[in-house]
Amino acid sequence: MNRRVVITAAAAITPIGHRKDDILDSLTNGVSGVKPLREDKLLSGHLHSKVFGTVDYDIPFDFKRKYRKTMGPVAYYACQVAKEVIEQSGLPTDFVTSGRLGVSFGSIHGSPTVQRGIYECFFSDSDETYTSINAVDYLKSMVHTTAVNITKMFGITGRVIASSTACTTSSQCVGFGYETIKFGLQDAMLCGGADEYDTTTVAVFDNLLACSTDFNDTPHLTPRPFDDRRDGLVVGEGAGAVMLEEYEFARKRGAEILGEVIGFSCNNNGGDMILPNAQGVTDAIRLGIDSAKVPAGSVDLVSAHATATKMGDVVEAQAIRKTFGDAPRVVGLKGYMGHTMAACGAIETVLVLFMMQAGIIAPTLNLEEIDPRCGGLRHVTELIESPFSTAVVQNFAFGGVNTTLFIKRFD
Amino acid sequence: MTREEIQASILAVFAEAFEIENPELDDDLREVHEFDSIDAIELLAEIEKLLKSELTQDEKKQAMGIRTINQICDYVESLAAVRLKPA
Repeated sequence: MNRRVVITAAAAITPIGHRKDDILDSLTNGVSGVKPLREDKLLSGHLHSKVFGTVDYDIPFDFKRKYRKTMGPVAYYACQVAKEVIEQSGLPTDFVTSGRLGVSFGSIHGSPTVQRGIYECFFSDSDETYTSINAVDYLKSMVHTTAVNITKMFGITGRVIASSTACTTSSQCVGFGYETIKFGLQDAMLCGGADEYDTTTVAVFDNLLACSTDFNDTPHLTPRPFDDRRDGLVVGEGAGAVMLEEYEFARKRGAEILGEVIGFSCNNNGGDMILPNAQGVTDAIRLGIDSAKVPAGSVDLVSAHATATKMGDVVEAQAIRKTFGDAPRVVGLKGYMGHTMAACGAIETVLVLFMMQAGIIAPTLNLEEIDPRCGGLRHVTELIESPFSTAVVQNFAFGGVNTTLFIKRFD
Repeated sequence: MTREEIQASILAVFAEAFEIENPELDDDLREVHEFDSIDAIELLAEIEKLLKSELTQDEKKQAMGIRTINQICDYVESLAAVRLKPA
């Protein structure tokens, strides 16, 4: 079985906006979502990096308590984008609950805010902690909390995939969802990822000297993918989701088709857990090209992982050169919002779809002087108003996991 | 703690913690108000706060068959009586 898979809805909560119009407005006007790190009374005072890709606008969550009671902040984000893609797709309730729709959704480690509450009780002198850790805390902080809060809220009874592979979490979720439909295991998959505001993640990268610190007083100037002055990544928050459907099913019900997923790859570097690996990334891209069955030269746009770390961007640029040559345009969308961790693959997929629909390619924000080691590529440094047909979203994660997701405009 | 005080406290907990306003005292909470096992565990925590005392595992297990506000009040009343009993 080898079925076509199309995208019938897309939604994102990002540091540069929530709705499509707001996000496109930020992309076309060079608006950054990176803000000063908030005081958290725990870690923020100790961190060298003082910036964060922040969702600082109100989101009108409208969830009943019976759903809220098992949700940490990350699940709020997840359920909101899930709600939006279900509504946007127009899938009827009887299909949503039929078992033919599955969920493929993840976060890097459940809700760190809830986990912090659990840990606090260990260090509390209070004797009023009778039941300080309970089942609800687990349901809010378990690693598949986003996926199963979505299934609960919408009565989804199909397969559940809850990838949790750090920065490739949601790109895997979309990719595994694609394969699940392609091979006939489900007719539709709600796919994506989310992560909430969390300084412990910043601390991890800060201690690895991988966070941006030179722009603490000018947050909007960092991160700087592929730029000569880049000094590390910026952690961010947000969520992204897409509804994937089998093509004939979507066509017959008259769904609006936003794009087609034509290929996916996932591999591992087979070695170091942290250092970027040129061979692993190159192999992942080649596997993706094979999966998509398109000539490498026909890919119009590479949405690079491009976290703006010193070595990661160089390795990725080399891999792009080696596999695609200098044909595709290259954009690093993290320049706008930092690294939204588990959500980044899904968010970047949604943003690529939005740009594909609008016929624009946003420039890599803060890319002013291309690092020569990242050169030889068609970096997008100013807004391009031009339709494009085929794009690849690349993501790489701690643990040596690499993914590529190939998307085609649907004509 | 009188029965009236217990009932008022439990109804306040239902309004504030569970967003269930003015339930009938003999409503089946599961059937009528979608009160589930997670809520039941949270309710036990609220009862511990009310009694300012930790419940034993046996006491918690006794609560598993409870379905109505009246039964909850009976349960709390019995727990309170044990805790107030002179040694």
